[in-house]
Amino acid sequence: MAMIIINGRAVECAEGTPVLKVAVDAGFDVPFYCFHPGLKIVASCRLCLMEMRSKDPKTGEMVWSPRLIPSCQTPARDGMEVRFDSPNVRQNQRAVMEDYLLNHPLDCPVCDQAGECWLQDYSMKYGNALSRMTEPKTVNPKKSVGSKTLLYQDRCVLCSRCVRFCREVAGTNELCVIRRSSYAEIDAFPGIPLENKLQGNVVDICPVGALLDKDFLYKQRVWYLKTSKSICPNCSTGCTICIDHNNGRVWRLRPRTNRKVNTWWICDEGRFGWKYVHSNQRLLAPMLKGARVTWDAALAAAQQLLAPAGKAQQGKGVAVVLSPMMACEEAWLLAKVVRAAAPQATLVTGFVPKASADELFPVGLTDQAKAKFIIRAEKCPNRCGVEAVCKALGGPQATFADFLAKAKQGTFALAWIVGGYSQEWVTRDCSDALSKVSQLIVQDIFPSSLSARADLALPSCAWVEREGTFVNHAGIAQPFDRALPPPVGCQQDSQYLYRLAGMEGLYRAEKVREQMLDKVAELRDLWTPPAEARGMH
Amino acid sequence: MADWKDKDVLHVSEPKLTALERTYLPQVVAGLGTTLRHMFQKKFTLQYPEEKRQMRVQNYRGIHRLNRDDQGRVACVACFMCPSICPAQCIYIVAGESPWPDREKYPVKFEIDELRCIFCGMCEEVCPVDAIELTSEYGLLGYTREEMLFDKEKLLKLFDLTKGYKPRKGPKITGYPKPTDQRGTSTHEGL
Repeated sequence: MAMIIINGRAVECAEGTPVLKVAVDAGFDVPFYCFHPGLKIVASCRLCLMEMRSKDPKTGEMVWSPRLIPSCQTPARDGMEVRFDSPNVRQNQRAVMEDYLLNHPLDCPVCDQAGECWLQDYSMKYGNALSRMTEPKTVNPKKSVGSKTLLYQDRCVLCSRCVRFCREVAGTNELCVIRRSSYAEIDAFPGIPLENKLQGNVVDICPVGALLDKDFLYKQRVWYLKTSKSICPNCSTGCTICIDHNNGRVWRLRPRTNRKVNTWWICDEGRFGWKYVHSNQRLLAPMLKGARVTWDAALAAAQQLLAPAGKAQQGKGVAVVLSPMMACEEAWLLAKVVRAAAPQATLVTGFVPKASADELFPVGLTDQAKAKFIIRAEKCPNRCGVEAVCKALGGPQATFADFLAKAKQGTFALAWIVGGYSQEWVTRDCSDALSKVSQLIVQDIFPSSLSARADLALPSCAWVEREGTFVNHAGIAQPFDRALPPPVGCQQDSQYLYRLAGMEGLYRAEKVREQMLDKVAELRDLWTPPAEARGMH
Repeated sequence: MADWKDKDVLHVSEPKLTALERTYLPQVVAGLGTTLRHMFQKKFTLQYPEEKRQMRVQNYRGIHRLNRDDQGRVACVACFMCPSICPAQCIYIVAGESPWPDREKYPVKFEIDELRCIFCGMCEEVCPVDAIELTSEYGLLGYTREEMLFDKEKLLKLFDLTKGYKPRKGPKITGYPKPTDQRGTSTHEGL
C-alpha cells in the first residue's frame, strides 16, 4: 500500500496504480477522456494533467514542478504529493477544452450522445462559455465504419479508446487513426469494416458522440431512459448488463462493470439479442387444450392434471423439465409444485443450446486464462443453477437426453416442460419422443409444436420481465431485476408458480431465495458488482 | 399578561342610517346616473363571434404551429427539447433519419395534445431552430378528443394559414453542414 497526497488530502492506494484512477476513485473531480481501466494508457487527451512536488536539482528542496504531468501515466508512489486544484492545472483544462471544441459542430440537439456526453459535462465544468474561433469550422461528414456503427468524425476527440479496444480486447485491429495533427481522424482499414463480435463496446466507451449505434440511432433521447440492472441470458458467461427502457419497451442494453465476470464489455450477441422480447408471435394467454382460458382456470387445470398423475405410483410417471433459461427461484418453485403432487417425479435439466466452441478474445487466443472476454458455447444463462436446484431437491433425476429416451419408451404419463428460449428449440426427435407422453403441460415464450398439442400451455415471460438469480458457468450467482412488466394477459412465471405452490401475495425473488439458502449452497454468496466511480466503468 | 384577546379585538357596529338614507332613494338615483353616463361613453364590448378582437400577434399564446423552412420542409429537427421541457407532457415525437442531406433528424411523427396543453410557451422558447411556435389563434374547437390531437400535417397547415401575418422569425435551420470533398471549405451554419 502507498499513501499519496492529492490536493492536500492523504489517500491510500495500491502502489503503482495510475494517480488519475486513485484520484477519481477517491472522489476528486478530474476530467479525462483517453484513460480507460480496461485499456492501455496513452496519455493523449492531456486533460488529466496535474502538478507534482519533486526535488529541485539545484537546491534539493521539494518544490511544485513547473511542468504539468499526465496523471494517468504516473504510477502512485508512497509519499507522492500532487494537486489538481492549482491555477496552472485549471488553466490547462480550460485551454484543452477550448481546443477540443474548435471544430466541434455543437449539434447537441440532434446528437444521440447528448445527455451522457463527456464533452458536454466537461464544457460545463471546465470549459468556456464562448469560443474565440472565428475561422470556419472544418467539416467531416458522418461515415459508416461497420454494419452496426456510425462515425461522426466532427464530434471526435481522438482519445483512441475505440482503436485500442479493437487492438487489445477484440484483437481484430479494424480501426486506426489516419493522417496527423489537426487532420487526424478515426477510420476503418479499407475493406476491413468494424465487424467483430464485440464491436458494440466501442460505442459505449466513446466518451463523445463520435461513434453511435445504428440500432439505437434516433430512437430515444437518453434522459428518457430508465435503467434496470440485469444479467445477459445469451450465454453462460452471465455478463452483468443495464437494460435501458421506457414505456414498456427495451431500447438498448449496455454492459455493467463487473470485475469478476465480464469486466467492462459485452458481446453483440447479447447487446442486440433482446429483439425477441417485443415479437408479436409470443404466447400471451394460457391455453387449455387449444382454447384460451383465464389464469384461474389454467392454474386449477394444472392442479387437476398433476393430482391424478401424482397419485399413481407416487408420481413416478411424472417428469418436470426445468429449462436452463429459468432463474433458480423459478426452477425451485416449479420443482416444489410438481413434487408436492408427485413426490417421485423426475427432475430434468432442460435442453441446453450449444454453439460449437467458446469464442475467446482477443481473437486467436486459445488460453482461457489469458482471454479478456469469452463468449461461451453454452447459450443459456443458468444450467449450473438449475442443476444445483435439482441436486438440492434430490430424488429421481435425468438429463434431457435420458428423459427423451425414457419418454420414447412411454415411461411418463405427464410431463411439465419449460422452454423460454429465444429461438425455435423443439426438434423432430424431441417432439417424436414427447408424443409418447400422454399429458403435457408446456410453459414457453413462443408457440411451438409442443405447445400446440399440450393439454395446458402457459405463457412464459422473457428475462427482462422476470426477476431472480442466474448461476453462471463458474458458479457465480448473480441476481437480476425486472425491467418491464409482463405483456398484457401474461403473468410473471414465478408469480403463477408462487400461487401454485400455495403462497400468498406478490412474488419477490428475495423471499424465495431465503427459503432456498439452506438447501442450495450456490446461492449463499450472491455477487453484485459494486458501483464504480464515474468514468472508471 | 392580561386577557390579550379582549385588548386586541376591535369591536365595530354598523353605522346608524339617517332618515333620508333609510328611504334608499339617493342611492337608486346615483346608480341610474352611472348607467346613464356609460350609455354615452365609448363602448368596449365586442359582438363576438361576429366581431373579433385584434390580437397581439407577436406574443399571444394560442394554438401551436410547426414551421416550414424556406424550401417548404418541416423545420423541426426532432431534438426532443420541447417534449423534455413541456410541463403538461403533451408533445409526442417519433424521430427518424432525415431524407435531406443538410440535416440529421426529422420528425416522422409530431403530435400535440391540445387538450392537455397549458399554453405556457416553453416549447417555443426552448426550440433551437424556431420550428414550433404559438400563433394568436385561439379558436380551439372540435367534437372529439381525437380531433384535438394535432398531428404533423395539421400543425404544418396551421403554419401555412398563419404565416401571412406571422412569418417564421427564427434563424436558419440548424443543419448538418453540406458534405464536401475538401476539408475546411464549407462554413458551418451552426446554432
